Formats: sequence, C-alpha cells, structure tokens
Amino acid sequence: MTNDTTSDRWAPIRTAGRLSAHLRTHLTVLLIVVVAELIGTITFPLGPGQVVLLPLLYAVVLGLVLSYSVLGSVIEPLRSVVDEDVSRIASPLLVIALMPLGVKYGTLVAPSFYDLVAAGPAFVLQEFGNLGTILIALPLALLLGLKRESIGAAVSIAREPTLGVITDKYGIESPEGRGVLGTYMTGTVLGTVFFGLLGGFAPATGLHPLALSMACGMGSASMMTACSTSLAAAVGGAGVAEDQILSFAATSNLLTGITGLYMVILVGLPVITRLYAVLAPVFGRDTAAADGGE
Amino acid sequence: MSMSTPEFSVESLKMLLVVAFLTLTANFIATGTGFVAALPGMALIVVLGLVALLMGRLIPLDLPAFAYAMVLAFALALPFSPVQAPFLAAVGEIDFLATTTPILAYAGLSIGLQTGKMKEVSWKLVLVAVFVFFGTFFGSALISQAVLSAQGII
Repeated sequence: MTNDTTSDRWAPIRTAGRLSAHLRTHLTVLLIVVVAELIGTITFPLGPGQVVLLPLLYAVVLGLVLSYSVLGSVIEPLRSVVDEDVSRIASPLLVIALMPLGVKYGTLVAPSFYDLVAAGPAFVLQEFGNLGTILIALPLALLLGLKRESIGAAVSIAREPTLGVITDKYGIESPEGRGVLGTYMTGTVLGTVFFGLLGGFAPATGLHPLALSMACGMGSASMMTACSTSLAAAVGGAGVAEDQILSFAATSNLLTGITGLYMVILVGLPVITRLYAVLAPVFGRDTAAADGGE
Repeated sequence: MSMSTPEFSVESLKMLLVVAFLTLTANFIATGTGFVAALPGMALIVVLGLVALLMGRLIPLDLPAFAYAMVLAFALALPFSPVQAPFLAAVGEIDFLATTTPILAYAGLSIGLQTGKMKEVSWKLVLVAVFVFFGTFFGSALISQAVLSAQGII
C-alpha cells in the first residue's frame, strides 16, 4: 500500500496489447471532462457562507459513479465499457495527470516568492495544526466506543506516509491498522468533495483567506486543489488575490509532503499514545475489554 | 515484470500526450482559448512533466513527481530567471482550473477500486475521519491566523 511497489503501480500505463482498455479509459475521461466543463462553476450562498461547485467536483463524482463498482455493478452494458481495467489504468494516470497542475502551481508560487518567505514562520508552525486532529477526534472516537482503533484513526489525516508508518509499526490487521485505514479510505473516497465544499464555506468563519489557504495544504494534491480553488472562488479576489491563495495552499501542501512523515513519527504518534493512556479510562466505554475491537 | 526506465519514459510520454489533449479540451471549453494558442505552453508542460516523473522515479527522496513538477516550474518562473517572461506567457494560456478536471476524472474512476474496502469501514470510523478533517483544517488555520497576525502580515 505504500509507494514502494513502483513496478506494479506503473504497469497499467503500458499500451502494448491493451489499446482497447486504454481507449475506453481516456474516452470516458474525455466525456467526463467535456460534461464537467460545460456545466462550469456554480456558486450560491447558503446560510453565512457559500457553496462553490467547480468542474473538478463534478469530475470526481462522475468518475466514481461511472466506475465498475458503482453504477457498473448494476448496469451491465456500462460495465462492459467502463470495466475494472479502466479503474486500474486510471490509478497511475492520476499521477501523470497531476503534471500540468504541478507546473501551473509552480508558476503561481514563483511570483509570490518573497511573500512566501515572509510568511515562513507561519508555514512551519501551522504544520503542528495536525495535532488538532488528535485533540478533537480522539475524544470523539473514545466516546463512540472505539478502542485502539482510535489511535490509528485520529493520529493524522492519514495520507500515504501515515498509512505506511502505522501499518509498519502495528500491522495492517491490528486495531490501529484498521483505524488508520478507515481514515485513509474515507479521505480517498470523500476527501476531495469534503474539502471542496469546506474551502468554499470556510471564509464564513471569519478567518483570513491566507490562513485558510495554508490549512488547505495537508499532503494530498487533490484535496488541496479542491480546497484552495473553492476558497479562491469564494473569496473572489476580495482583499487577497486568487493566485496568492492558490500559491500559499500549494506551498503548505509541499511542506506537509516533506515534513508529514516526521510529524507523525516524532510528534503525532507519541502525543496520541500518551493522550490515549490518559483519556481512554475517562471517555472510553467498557475499558476492561480493551483491544477487543468492533 | 518491472518497467525499465526507457520503457517508463516512452509510456509516460504517451500518457502525458493524452493528458495534454484532455487539458487542452477542458481549457478550450472553459476559456475559449484555442488548441493552437495553448500548444507552446502545453508542450513545455509535457517536457517538464516527463522530467518530473523521471525525477520522482530516480531520485531516492520519496517525494512525489507532483512536487518536482512544481519545483521545476517554480525555478523557471522566479523573478530572476532569464526565461521568466516567455515561460509565464506560454503556460499562462492554459487555465489553472482546466488542468484540475482531468485529474479528478481519473481520480474518480480509480476510487472505484476502493469502494469494496470502503464498505468494510464502520460508520464510526467514517465519523471519526470527518472530525479528523475538521481538526486538521481548523488546527492549521488557527495557528496560521495567529502567527500571520503576530507578524503583521494580515
């Protein structure tokens, strides 16, 4: 599950003898892209905030709905076109499709280079914001009756580095492993849509758009993109330029990508295991049956 | 059978060209910019993308190719880069949001592989995950807000 299985991971991009599967994959994506772009960005107010619906949100939802395990599992003709092979090819293609976005982000970040350097201390310190997950999510997990699963589930937002650390230390079949996998899976399936909506709504909290844009960078390129583009659309250049929002988010994301692993090993995990020992007897239900799992 | 670096380069280049076509299509629908006008910028993106993918594969730093693509473009677009102006002008023909749509379409299709495993995740863990999302987002935002205010930046 970690990123060491390089050969297996890239094998689906081979086109030799697999032209049909490749054609079906890329034509499906072309169709999704055309539909998503034709709908375009929709923004409407909701309560104190705004809902921002971007083409990228329609694209992820359409892709998921059309895949073999969702609509394909009930509509036979769809599954014969958009089959499991299509999803297998789409997986490494996601990495390749990120290249144009990476270049665009680079061009946005460079002109605000001096602003970013000036904001250096904030960038470094907000990495500790990950600890917010522990303080909020650990008590909740214990109240729900989870036991050692809560350590894996609440330690961080659980992108690939965390998943690697926890499964390495405890094993994927352990309660901690089940917990981290739960947060990882939820992030993979729901994260983009969740942060896309949160990014649009977040200015309603009164926090500054630059602070919010830093918070968008949490180690996943697609979540960060959904979050920061919605935030930029919601702010609409009022007070802060859209490019600045995007570049702050991208820089924060890059930083999380570099430091994330060490944050989990050196800070997150020591804190949550100690806090678990303190809180489990207080919040936990039925502590006598510890480690029992669900 | 693991892929050799030359084979990886060729197959990646093919896929980059597919992605380039998809992005140009999204760009055209979103902004009306024609394929020809956006082509020089997209050619640069394909070249940088290929270099970034190779760096991700060959440099033993465990950084994703996405990070290298960003850093390469960043270096070319810095204020003291001799190619800053033409580089920014060429890549500027491609809309930022247009590059995101193909990514998320592929992401959506690939999530299909995970929905089976998702069914095994209990609702309690999903609820905890949602609180993790809120916690990490607002934890970072509150710290950033405090530090940026203290520095007088905002």
